[in-house]
Amino acid sequence: MTADTISTILVSGIVLGSVYALMASGLSLVWTTLGIFNFAHGALMTLGAYMAWTISDAAGLDLWLAAGIAIAVAAVIGVGILMERLLIRPFYDRRDILLITVMTTLAAMIFLEKGMQLAWGARLKQLRPIVPGNVNLLGTTISAQEALIVVLAPVLLGLLWFFLRNSRIGRGIRAVGQNPAAAKLIGIDVSGLFIVTFALSAGLAALTGILLGSVRLVTPTFGAEPLVKALIIVIFGGLGSLGGTIAAAYLIGLLEAALIFFIGIYWAPSMIFVLLIAILLIRPQGLLGKVER
Amino acid sequence: MKPKAHALELRELRAGYDAYDVLQGISLHVGAGERVGLFGPNGHGKTTLLNAISKIIVPRSGSVSFMGEALESLSARRIVERGLIHVPQANQLFPDMEIMETLELAAFTERARRDRNANLDYVLGLFPRLAERRRQQCKTLSGGERQMLSIGVGLMCAPRMLMLDEPTLGLSPKLKQELASAIGEISKRGIPLLLIEQDISFVLSLVDRMYFVDHGEIAREIDRGSDVDHEEIMDMYFGGHAAP
Repeated sequence: MTADTISTILVSGIVLGSVYALMASGLSLVWTTLGIFNFAHGALMTLGAYMAWTISDAAGLDLWLAAGIAIAVAAVIGVGILMERLLIRPFYDRRDILLITVMTTLAAMIFLEKGMQLAWGARLKQLRPIVPGNVNLLGTTISAQEALIVVLAPVLLGLLWFFLRNSRIGRGIRAVGQNPAAAKLIGIDVSGLFIVTFALSAGLAALTGILLGSVRLVTPTFGAEPLVKALIIVIFGGLGSLGGTIAAAYLIGLLEAALIFFIGIYWAPSMIFVLLIAILLIRPQGLLGKVER
Repeated sequence: MKPKAHALELRELRAGYDAYDVLQGISLHVGAGERVGLFGPNGHGKTTLLNAISKIIVPRSGSVSFMGEALESLSARRIVERGLIHVPQANQLFPDMEIMETLELAAFTERARRDRNANLDYVLGLFPRLAERRRQQCKTLSGGERQMLSIGVGLMCAPRMLMLDEPTLGLSPKLKQELASAIGEISKRGIPLLLIEQDISFVLSLVDRMYFVDHGEIAREIDRGSDVDHEEIMDMYFGGHAAP
């Protein structure tokens, strides 16, 4: 294996890992706090990309790019909050909330995908890159936009980590995830923080979509593949640990890059599943997850 | 002589789970600065009573007032804001959080945040062991330490009244003694207490008055002054109606 090969695998693995880390952290946050999986997370990502495309393309000015991003993220956060209200909140007191919300969020995913198809059509779209041109990273050339993703992902995840660790609301979110009854008894507004969590997660999904929308082509099912990867990553990283999720995201990104290089793009996704199953047989609690009770 | 404004007053409170009423109409009061005990067999509604007061469950009927204010329309969070603090039984707290983080977080309401530093000093002075282990995660604490942290969390909420649910459950006699003196210390600050306890001698040493809860009702009220002997209490516990 030449140095060139290693560099290619490493760089494309890190690009993939960055995208997955952004996607999976939002999914993981909702899982640890609300105890549900949001299957519409990928559709929220797609919605972010379409919104940003509409706003920035119509304006056609660089100035509008930032505004487009901000408005798109805000709109997706709004949709996320609406989803929490309509599809998750009515079931909080039910024991089978996990299964019910699999159905409701899957329904939301289909609804959003079809809605986006109606609104934006099936024609492929691509966002203008936030930063144009190419960059040389470790001897491999990638687009500057991909480099931006590689740089932004750790920054955003670092901010998220800092927020959860040190801010009053962030600590409250962790408390609500770990023991909602005890959180209530110290005066925390549990359902209020559920909304904040969902909003944060939707915002992360939108940003991922906007960043990726100029690297890949945007279609109504643009978010489906990243969603499946993010699901794998959250389970693989060990349910309930943000650190584990992020580590797993980069690991799976690198693994996928290596598999694509060696066995081709056709079999790589299924091989990831095979490896995941094998690893979960040995470590049922996931990569960094702790054994429950 | 009863004080004029009670800290806490319940009238005919009914509550339960699903179709079953655990509380069959409870009326009781806790005076300003008073320490009141609740005792009685397990499964007869003591914990349910505290849950109904703090709105962990919603009462079916009856009224609760705190410092003269009706609590019916208030949520759990608003009740904490008012300063009526419930320290639940065997509280697991937040497993992955450190002691200091937990204590700081517990001063969550606007009012509690104002007194955060003073209360933190007070809690760490009361339970030096928590100060020694400030970076330790809740899930790694022993039963006694967790109970101390639980009470500490209650104190960080800036209580105007504390309701403690079996603070010494499953602890060694030595630890029980330690907690008893801490609770005595807290009540010296004039904070009214409602204390659930199974250990009669423990509860007698800490309270001014007791209610005996049986089958979801107040079966008896016992003043510390009135001489109730140990045997009589045992009779109440074990369904002593048959006793001569």
